[in-house]
Amino acid sequence: MKISPVFLLVGLSFALATAHAQQNQPSIEQLLQEPFLDDYYSNVVYGYEITTNTQDNASRYVGNSLQCSNCHLQAGTQPDALPLNVAGMYPKWRAKNGKRNGIGLRIRECFLYSMDGIMPPEDAPEVLALSAYVTYLSQGQVMGAEPPGRGVPTLPDTGYDPNPANGRAVYLEQCSSCHGERGGGTAGMPPVWGLNAYNKGAGMNDIQQAAGFIWANMPLGNGKSLTHQQALDVSAYLNLQVRPADPRDSKFLKLLEQLIN
Amino acid sequence: MEVFAGLVGAILVIPQGITFAYLAGLPPEYGLYCAIFVTLFCSLLGSSSMMSGPNTAVAILIGTAVLPLAGRGSPLYIDFVFLLCLMVGLIQLMFWLARGARIFQYLSPASISGISAGAGFLIIMSSLDSMLDLSTFQTTFFYEKLYVIASDAGNLVNPYSLAIGLTTIASGYLGKRYSPRYFIIIAVTAGYLCGVLVAFVWPQPITELEYLGRMPLEWLPLSIPNINIEYLMISTKLIPYAIAIAFIGLAQSLVIVRELKMETDQDINLDKEVYAQGMANFLAPFFSGFAGAGSFNRTRANQSLGATTPLSGITAAGFVLILITFLGPILTFMPMAAMSGTLFIVGANMIKWRDIKHYAQVRSELIIYFTTFLCIMFFGLAAGVAVAVVLSVSVFMLHISQLELKMESANTGTVLKVKGALFYASVAHLTEKFHRHLDGDLTVDLQYTTHVDQSAVDFFIRESRQMAAQGTKLTLLINDEQRKFLERLGASSELELVSL
Repeated sequence: MKISPVFLLVGLSFALATAHAQQNQPSIEQLLQEPFLDDYYSNVVYGYEITTNTQDNASRYVGNSLQCSNCHLQAGTQPDALPLNVAGMYPKWRAKNGKRNGIGLRIRECFLYSMDGIMPPEDAPEVLALSAYVTYLSQGQVMGAEPPGRGVPTLPDTGYDPNPANGRAVYLEQCSSCHGERGGGTAGMPPVWGLNAYNKGAGMNDIQQAAGFIWANMPLGNGKSLTHQQALDVSAYLNLQVRPADPRDSKFLKLLEQLIN
Repeated sequence: MEVFAGLVGAILVIPQGITFAYLAGLPPEYGLYCAIFVTLFCSLLGSSSMMSGPNTAVAILIGTAVLPLAGRGSPLYIDFVFLLCLMVGLIQLMFWLARGARIFQYLSPASISGISAGAGFLIIMSSLDSMLDLSTFQTTFFYEKLYVIASDAGNLVNPYSLAIGLTTIASGYLGKRYSPRYFIIIAVTAGYLCGVLVAFVWPQPITELEYLGRMPLEWLPLSIPNINIEYLMISTKLIPYAIAIAFIGLAQSLVIVRELKMETDQDINLDKEVYAQGMANFLAPFFSGFAGAGSFNRTRANQSLGATTPLSGITAAGFVLILITFLGPILTFMPMAAMSGTLFIVGANMIKWRDIKHYAQVRSELIIYFTTFLCIMFFGLAAGVAVAVVLSVSVFMLHISQLELKMESANTGTVLKVKGALFYASVAHLTEKFHRHLDGDLTVDLQYTTHVDQSAVDFFIRESRQMAAQGTKLTLLINDEQRKFLERLGASSELELVSL
């Protein structure tokens, strides 16, 4: 069999590149042991700490009681659970705000929607630290190429509409032991609705996205045990619940709406 | 009385703490901790009713010192700020050990006003950043920044932020007319209400306003500064700044204390104040605060309310702690534009037209004032402080090395009356006079001379030998103390000494 030397070269350089990236990158555990870190690695560690303990480390801009790692499981390293190794995908255009989004704006919007808080300024230390952490996790990824397991899986069309009533039954059976019957969460487990959960502008408020996340990862540690239809039903049930308003709606317009109604 | 003064001090210090923390590049809660603990320790250990706490010049210097080492507000940055404050405290304690409070008397009032005006200018420039909602960018000189803003104003400036900032400034100046003491509070409140109105009409994704955010406040924010060999190696770069901060902090505190001593009958010990300030800055990092110094405007408010003991400072610290626990949730939605509007007012108030007019009367003072001010404008506060010190010391030196010489003809020959200090720097002046007068006997009257050093004695011996060669005679009129000194140096054999 004859292998083209060009292919060999490409393959070799690719292997070298990945090996290089893996060799150079100390693990988070190693970084945590270091007595002194430079600007980049100290920001990486700070970003990691924000991801795992958002309430204590980025409380300035957080409005609910969620942690980043509630959705970005395993501190953003688990595929199919919104992994954070996506630095190579930005900047890109997003339909959500109709703008060219850098990684900074993406992180700031996370604070605004999923964390139901305040949009931090571009140069807030929290945003910079999270950018550093995302960059750190993205080492070795190909620029512009979609990393495997990015975001959440898109569920195939089941042929049925999501049924919130069925979703409630599934929720009470499978989810309520951790997330609580009233969705308020339990110790260490995040709320999924109520005023301490993500708001109506968050990506998780989208039925398809939430269903993909639920199917791939829930119940925690036993992912992909629900059927696609069950995941969609639970997602529809969550979507109906009370949660903070979409911050994109002006409060003045809200007031007008209420006056007209 | 003291308690009420403490309450007013606490209300005044909260916006200052937040904005000065912004100047220092730290999250706002650190400014509040500084307002609590630096004020507390300084009042506990000190002897005057001076209000210490977050200080503009110190905050700016902290920012410029640590920014090259780490990103603004990152954990590494905070570590370095704490290290810097430890160093500042130690240097100030060394001043105390050396009984160095006297050194600050050589810093002329003109240069202190110049430093304050320069700091005001820097504050105005940095308030632009967040008032126009620019992401912080570094330029070498201030006019580049103004040029960049002016050339691309349509894209760079956030109109919502600008509107809130302008409202704050306008209401601040309006409020100043009616209530000169609380106008900062009026300005902050107006800015806050304007921010609420803007947030009510337009949502944050559109306005992109920067808010203060929730402050994770604790009652006892104990922290242990990170010290290990790597930190210490890097922090050697901070030493010049630590010296500058220690110096400017003490200089401001002592100016305030000296004014208090003159205007009131408080029993004030300058060295004790140096100790209190140094100790407070040394302890600040252990309570998550940064270094501070005396505050002119709060001390003045304190004084006008009749506070005369350190108790007012202690109660102020307590009130800050209580107030922020209640105000914290309200302050969450404080727009940073309102905060920077107040910064703008603070900065503009530090450049006083009255000072310029006052110093314009004496040329050397005016030169010191403007040189300091321009140096700070172009080269930063640390350079400006160094220039101010050098200038005021050299003007002082020039003045004391000037001798007042008077020639009188008497029946015994010519009498030269010397007034001033006779030392190596002023001897040259005397030499000129001597060489112009070489004929005839000379009597030098030293009774108004404050100090005679060895080089002056050597000079007299040399001159008397020369004059003896020409057949003339040098006589010194001296007092007893000078005689002892001259005889110890063996001048009695060469010179004719006459006691008065």
